Amino acid sequence: GGAMSFLKRFPPPAEGVRHQQPDTEAVLAGRTLGAGTLYIAESRLSWLENSGVGFSLDYPTISLHAVSRDLNAYPWEHLYVMVNAKFEEETKEASMAEGEEEEEDSDDDVEPIAEFRFVPSDKSALEAMFSAMCECQALHPDPDDEDSDNDYEGEEYDVEAHELEQGDIPTFYTYEEGLSHLTAEGQATLERLEGMLAQSVSSQYNMAGVRTEDSIREFEDGMEVDIAPVVAGQFEDAEVDH
Amino acid sequence: MEVSHSVKERTIAENSLVILLQGLHGHVTTVDLRDESTATGRVTNVDAFMNMRLAEVTFTDRQGTASHLDELFVTGRNVRYVHIPDEVDIRATIERQLQAIHRVRYFGGRDKGRKEFPRTKHK
Repeated sequence: GGAMSFLKRFPPPAEGVRHQQPDTEAVLAGRTLGAGTLYIAESRLSWLENSGVGFSLDYPTISLHAVSRDLNAYPWEHLYVMVNAKFEEETKEASMAEGEEEEEDSDDDVEPIAEFRFVPSDKSALEAMFSAMCECQALHPDPDDEDSDNDYEGEEYDVEAHELEQGDIPTFYTYEEGLSHLTAEGQATLERLEGMLAQSVSSQYNMAGVRTEDSIREFEDGMEVDIAPVVAGQFEDAEVDH
Repeated sequence: MEVSHSVKERTIAENSLVILLQGLHGHVTTVDLRDESTATGRVTNVDAFMNMRLAEVTFTDRQGTASHLDELFVTGRNVRYVHIPDEVDIRATIERQLQAIHRVRYFGGRDKGRKEFPRTKHK
């Protein structure tokens, strides 16, 4: 075929190369581009023919990649890469042969797709090539994704420390911790409640965690305080929530 | 089931239906892609960005030609639909995934510093 104008001369990537596969043929839409080296780098996917010209693909443009060993579909085991972009080989002849251009109503409806195949002479390398691409692809989440709620910004923060700072968020304390956090009013309420508990314990059977009619009314203000048992031994086997 | 090692990804998963897809590990599932091709295979990984990794895939391209792919990785952006298999109990799957996340999160104990990301938008 004729010269592929999208091929350029550039130095091989030096940084963040997760996998490098020499002696790899690159094929675009069924036409071979020659033999060269595939560089799977964190910033982009590059292929350089042995002569020094090649091309790069940006991960956000790659829709999918796969390991193909189905020799009925394509005669050599390869890494298949589908790209959401047009390359100059999409001439009228090529697209007519694929049969899809005729059926298009408009160019806007159909996404451009270019199919690359990277055929390594070493078939056993396909797994490593595939995995390296998965890792690099994951480094480039979709920037156009407006639907998602995935905008978490800033530093990770310690949830407990944050909650303790929020005065109005209810927090649970052990008896000892809680005492120091009570206001004078809180202390008074606590004493009142403890008194009631002492009374109700003596007059009826109370299971831990189960409130009687009386105690439900009194606790209406929503204060949740973990009270230590007034009668030693009464609640020994109770489950206390911390 | 697998839970991401990334705090950020766990937070994202916990707050979206990606968590359901992550519960599909090991299940054979059909994924409809944005370009109208489809891929049917066993789910081996789903990350918080809905990037999906499938094994032993029957891939049908947009012209209807089928082929077999040993492994496939499709970016979240290009996933249109994921067919939840009939045998999957959706509610139980989500609950199980949430429990797995909470186990990982509280592994160090409550005082060991549960870390999360603040959200910029409040819904």
